[in-house]
Amino acid sequence: MLRRARYELAGRAAFPILTALEAWQHRLKRSRKQPGGGPFGPPLESVRRLKELMAHHYFQGRYADGAVPVAWVTSGFPVEVLRALGFHTVYPENHAALCGVQRLTPEYSDVAEAAGYSRDLCSYVRTDLGSVLSSKTPVGRLPRPQLLACCTNICQTVLYWYRELSRHLGVPLVLVDTPFVHGTASAHQLAYVKEQLEELCLVAGRVSGKPLDAERLVEVTRTAREGSRLWGECLAASRARPAPWTGIDGFFHIAPIVALRGTEACNGYYRLLRDELEDRVARGVGGLKEEKHRLLWDNLPVWFAVRRFSTLLAERGFNFVSTSYTDAWAEAGVGIDPDDPIGSAARTYTHVILNQDLPNRLDILRRLSRDYAVDGAILHSDRSCKPYSIGQVDLRERLAAELGIRVLLLEADHNDPRSWAAEPGENRLAAFMEGFE
Amino acid sequence: MRNQEIRTQRERHGRQAVAVLPIHYPKELLTALDLLAVELWGPPGPPRGDDAGRVQSYVCSVVRNALAFLAGGHADSVDGVLFPHTCDSIQQLATLATDLGGWTKPAFTFLHPRGADRPSARRFVEAELRRLAGTLEAFSGHALTEERLAAALALHREVDAARGALLDARARLPLDDTQLYALLRRGEWRWPADHLVELEAALATLAPEPVQRGVPVLVTGYVPEPAALLATLNGAGGYVAADDYAAVGRRVVRATPTPAADPWRALVDRYFAAPPCPTRGADTGVRMAHLAALAERSGARGVLVHVLKFCEPELFDVPAVKQAFASRGLPVLVLEGELEGALSGQAVTRLEAFGELLQGAPGAA
Ligand code: SF4
Ligand code: SF4
Repeated sequence: MLRRARYELAGRAAFPILTALEAWQHRLKRSRKQPGGGPFGPPLESVRRLKELMAHHYFQGRYADGAVPVAWVTSGFPVEVLRALGFHTVYPENHAALCGVQRLTPEYSDVAEAAGYSRDLCSYVRTDLGSVLSSKTPVGRLPRPQLLACCTNICQTVLYWYRELSRHLGVPLVLVDTPFVHGTASAHQLAYVKEQLEELCLVAGRVSGKPLDAERLVEVTRTAREGSRLWGECLAASRARPAPWTGIDGFFHIAPIVALRGTEACNGYYRLLRDELEDRVARGVGGLKEEKHRLLWDNLPVWFAVRRFSTLLAERGFNFVSTSYTDAWAEAGVGIDPDDPIGSAARTYTHVILNQDLPNRLDILRRLSRDYAVDGAILHSDRSCKPYSIGQVDLRERLAAELGIRVLLLEADHNDPRSWAAEPGENRLAAFMEGFE
Repeated sequence: MRNQEIRTQRERHGRQAVAVLPIHYPKELLTALDLLAVELWGPPGPPRGDDAGRVQSYVCSVVRNALAFLAGGHADSVDGVLFPHTCDSIQQLATLATDLGGWTKPAFTFLHPRGADRPSARRFVEAELRRLAGTLEAFSGHALTEERLAAALALHREVDAARGALLDARARLPLDDTQLYALLRRGEWRWPADHLVELEAALATLAPEPVQRGVPVLVTGYVPEPAALLATLNGAGGYVAADDYAAVGRRVVRATPTPAADPWRALVDRYFAAPPCPTRGADTGVRMAHLAALAERSGARGVLVHVLKFCEPELFDVPAVKQAFASRGLPVLVLEGELEGALSGQAVTRLEAFGELLQGAPGAA
């Protein structure tokens, strides 16, 4: 009871005090800087609310264990079931990205490597395992999970990762395994995934101490679908010229649809953001002061260098108006159906971009290129993410030949700056941009 | 030798050949349909052809080499290729080579369920086996009768029994490691019945008492390439007393519950009775217990972990393996390779040092 009250209070009372303090510090910092400089358009007003929302999520999380059931979850996991059971969910990928932005990966990875994990493993994994093994985190404290929930629709890596978490934390692991799709998933593939979702309902129900309420699941599914639709509307705003925000903004604004999918807080936030973006479109306000070239980005962001990349590009009038990464969360979620929450989740979560063949990926890149009228693309060849990166050499050639656009394959890593050769990388970026002039 | 076998099987028996990527696949189905499986572990050495460049250098050499090999026409003597969905990288290779160029002949996939043996996974495996069987039937022109399947199952049970017996009686087998693995690995491309004959011939040479004089070592890893590693290990005073290579021991099904009368059920049972493998998402605790039992049975005094660079499934388990054997006081050497043609000087030095360490260990032979 006490812990539950503290968990609720963390959200309602203590948290607003902290965010107010942060906002005040931010204003103080900004007032010391010269306004109006740089190649970017005016900052989005919604950013402040985004920070509050995510800080609230992490802050409340500090008090979650013991108060409500807690699960650590992969980004592509069919979270609606957990949400309906009242789980507080933590996304180690999201947390790792946060560490990546703050350039903490080398420090955490060193801890993981000292424990025997290879540096050739995904840098999200090394960041997360290092954080777990050292008990360090930039968010103060992550609540201890009672359940690890893993879905292989983004990669097999997550299964190996979560098995290790299970070993270190001594916590049960529930798996939703989604066999890879060539063309369209077969009936037996979908039946297998559906059956596992039914198993999940029972296992998660046991951990949470109460059975799943079917009506609540319908409600959460509806909310999650609405969240994906709203996120899609935010992204679609960039079809306008100039795009009202940058792709880099999109990388940060993805956090709620990943970590809070299926909640009203997530949807409320995206309504706010969508309205602001549409207002900017109506007023002709761009993410850049001067948008000369429109680019597509494929693969994860380079979290530790997003600002640097976007500034280098923005200074010469280049904007990422679309990214396959942010688009994935808009595409997949709209397929879930409140009238058939389990069956539709099986179909939807099996057909995410990374669980499908390369022709499907090429189709998505082609469609995004056309819909967002891009004149170039950067394919981030991500050392840490093989499922997203294998095939990009061919995708580059096909996109360039079929659409007549310039396409750069840029090798980096989404979280580990030690795998990024800054000088040659930036030179390649500069040469790519010169090709447009 | 592989090409010779492909020719012989085609000319004498009218059998088509299917190249198979690592690791686990229902070979029984191929045998039942008179298809010769020819496994493609890379192949080792530098990639043969430019297409390796279509896969980034941070991907394992199995996938890079396989793409170059297939796209370069080096596998044209086979009639089809099977991609088991072993890992993210092979999964991507399956679509890259067949959808974006590199392989134009028939291609098949086999999708594994991950994680524990559970009813949903069993149902999925059976459906997936039947799906694959259907496509292979159309390809081979043979109908897969229950009799054919039952006969293939019986043959593969015998092959596994012989392989298991050789590995279990390793200390009494008068072969060095290079010879042992050359024999066992011929099973990757020989017709199973012919392979069984050579296995049985080797079993007939078992001595009544141990003949191996080196220090017994448990080897776990991916594939014994480069083969020179084995001679170096022997030269350093060790020998493989227990095998957990993905290519070898991890594919020997030893658990033999009374086979189900229904051959499809028997096939599913065999699938789940295979030793724990990280590529199939085996539980770490179960796998460590399996390795510990292997070490115990064989009297291993050291553990060699021989993995491929960039191979996530294997690399993830390395800390657990180290920890499991540290607590048992067994030294562990981790060697990482890239399917290179020859063993690196550094690897030789480390193996030699490991051999010295083991020979100095209490109780060493
Ligand atoms: S970055 Fe790639 S490999 Fe790592 S967890 Fe995500 S999808 Fe998997
Ligand atoms: S990553 Fe490992 S399991 Fe996958 S193909 Fe490469 S070596 Fe084999």
